Amino acid sequence: MSVGFIGAGQLAFALARGFTAAGVLAAHKITASSPDTDLPTVSRLRKMGVNFTVSNKDTVKSSDVLFLAVKPPIIPFILEEVGPDIEARHIVVSCAAGVTINSIEKKLCTFCPTPKVIRCMTNTPVIVREGATVYATGTHADVEDGKLLEQLMASVGFCTEVEEDLIDAVTGLSGSGPAYAFTALDALADGGVKMGLPRRLAVRLGAQALLGAAKMLLESEQHPGQLKDNVCSPGGATIHALHFLESGGFRSLLINAVEASCIRTRELQHLADQEKISPAAIKKTLLDKVKLESPSLSVASAGKVSLFTNKSKKN
Amino acid sequence: GKVPAGNILASAPSDKNLESWRELGCRTTHCNLEVVQRSTLVFLATKPHVLPGVLEEIRPAVGSHHIVVSLVAGVTIQTLQKLLPPWTKVLRLMPNLPCVVQAGAMVFSRGSSAGDEESALLRALLSSCGLCEEVPESYLDIHTGLSGSGVAYVYLFAEALAEGAVKMGMPGALAGRIAAQTLLGAAKMLLETGEHPAKLRGDVCTPGGTTIHALHQLEKGALRATVMNAVEAATNRAADMAKR
Repeated sequence: MSVGFIGAGQLAFALARGFTAAGVLAAHKITASSPDTDLPTVSRLRKMGVNFTVSNKDTVKSSDVLFLAVKPPIIPFILEEVGPDIEARHIVVSCAAGVTINSIEKKLCTFCPTPKVIRCMTNTPVIVREGATVYATGTHADVEDGKLLEQLMASVGFCTEVEEDLIDAVTGLSGSGPAYAFTALDALADGGVKMGLPRRLAVRLGAQALLGAAKMLLESEQHPGQLKDNVCSPGGATIHALHFLESGGFRSLLINAVEASCIRTRELQHLADQEKISPAAIKKTLLDKVKLESPSLSVASAGKVSLFTNKSKKN
Repeated sequence: GKVPAGNILASAPSDKNLESWRELGCRTTHCNLEVVQRSTLVFLATKPHVLPGVLEEIRPAVGSHHIVVSLVAGVTIQTLQKLLPPWTKVLRLMPNLPCVVQAGAMVFSRGSSAGDEESALLRALLSSCGLCEEVPESYLDIHTGLSGSGVAYVYLFAEALAEGAVKMGMPGALAGRIAAQTLLGAAKMLLETGEHPAKLRGDVCTPGGTTIHALHQLEKGALRATVMNAVEAATNRAADMAKR
C-alpha cells in the first residue's frame, strides 16, 4: 500500500513520521507534495526517505490512500487540480478542519462518479504515536476502506469511527487539545521555576506529571474526580492548590476553550460554504502556483474566490 | 423510640422553652442540679457564655457514673474537663439541624476519661437522629463549616433553584417543593449508591444536552470555589470563636 500527502507541512510530517516509526509503512512508500519547497518540514521529510515532489498530480498517481493535508481554504483548489486524476481505487482522506464530506464529494463527483472520501480529524501527537483520531466515511467509502484507514491511524495512536456531525467537537477537544496542554505545561513550568526549580527540570517534571496522569486515567476504571480525590489528602498541599484552580474558574475556562474551538471550526466551514474566503487569506505564492496548474479555476468576482463552484471542468 | 419521654429531664432558668418539652412528655425543672442528680447521661446545651457558670453550679453533683455530653459550640474538651471533676467522662458533640427530622449529621469526640463503652452508647443513641460518627476533636469545627452551617448553604441553593424556575414560569410553591425533592433525591442517590459525585454528575449529562449547558454556567460562576470558601470561612469562624 502506498500513501500520499497533498501538503508537506506539520500534519503530513507528523503522520509520515508516525507511520514509519510504527513500522506500518516504509518511507519510500510515502509521497508528499507541496509547491512550497521552503517549508522546514520538506527537508525533514526528505531526510526520512519520503518521496518529495512539487507535483500534486504525481502524488495522486503514486498513492492508494491520499491524505489531503493542506489548510481548509486550500482544499477546493487542490480538488480542482487533482480531481481529474482521482480514480475509483483511491481513498481520499481529508484532514482539514471543518471541511465536510459532502463538499468534497460534490467537487470530486464532477471528475469521478464514485469517489471514496473519508473525513478525518487527528492531532499532532501522531508524531510520537499518541495521536487521537476520529473518522467518518463518505457515501462511496466501504467498511473496508474505513477499516484500512483505522488500521493506519491506530498505528499512531487512538482511532475510532464517529458520525460526521461530531467531528467539529472532536476538533475542539483533541484537535486543539495539545495546544491547551502545551499552554498548561508552560505555566506549570513557570510555577516550578518561581518556586526555585531550573527550567529544564520544571518542564520535564510537568510533562511527566501530565503524561502520568493521562495514563492513569486511560488505564483506570475510575472517574477523574475520584482519581483527583485520591491525590488530595485532607488539609494537604494539593487541595489548597485545587482551591486556587477552582477560584480561577479553571474548569469553565477549559469548557470555554473546547466550545470556542468547535464553534470556530463550524464558522470556518460555514464561511467556506458561503464562499466568503478571500484570496488574501491564501498565501499568494500558493494561489499563483495552483492557478498555473488549473486554468479552469474560476474567480467569481474581484476580491472573492468561488470556492465550490458548480462549474464542471470542460473536457 | 430509643428513650421513653418520661426518662428525659430538661432544665432551664425560665419556662419559655420548657413547655414544648412537656408536650413531648418529658419532665422539666428549673434546677440544673436536679438534672444531674437524677440522670446518668447529661447533655449540656447552653449558650457558650452561660456554660462556665452552669458547670460550676453542677460540679459538686457530678460523679464517675455520669456521662457528660456537651453540645456547646466553641467550648473545647480541655475546657470542659478543667471545669468538671477530674475523671469525669466527657464527650463533645456537634449535631446539625436536620436531627429534628432524624436526618441529622453528627460528629462527636471523647475526652480522656470517656471510653469505648461511652462512645458506643452515644453512637447507638444518636443514630436514631441520623448519621453519627466519632472523630478527632479537630474535625468538629470542620463539621460546623460543612454540615452545621452547611444546612444553610443548601437552603440557599434550594431557594435559588426555585427562583430560577419561577423566572421560567413555574409557580413558587411548586418550584420550592420540587427543588427540595431534587436535593433530597440526589442526596439519597449519593448515600445509597456510594458512587463518586462526579460520576453521578456525568451520568446525568447527555452529550450536548440541557444538563451540561447548565453545569457550564455553574462552572463559569466558580460555584465550586465559592462553596469551598464558605466551608473554610465557617470553619475558621468556629475556631476563632472557640479561642475567645
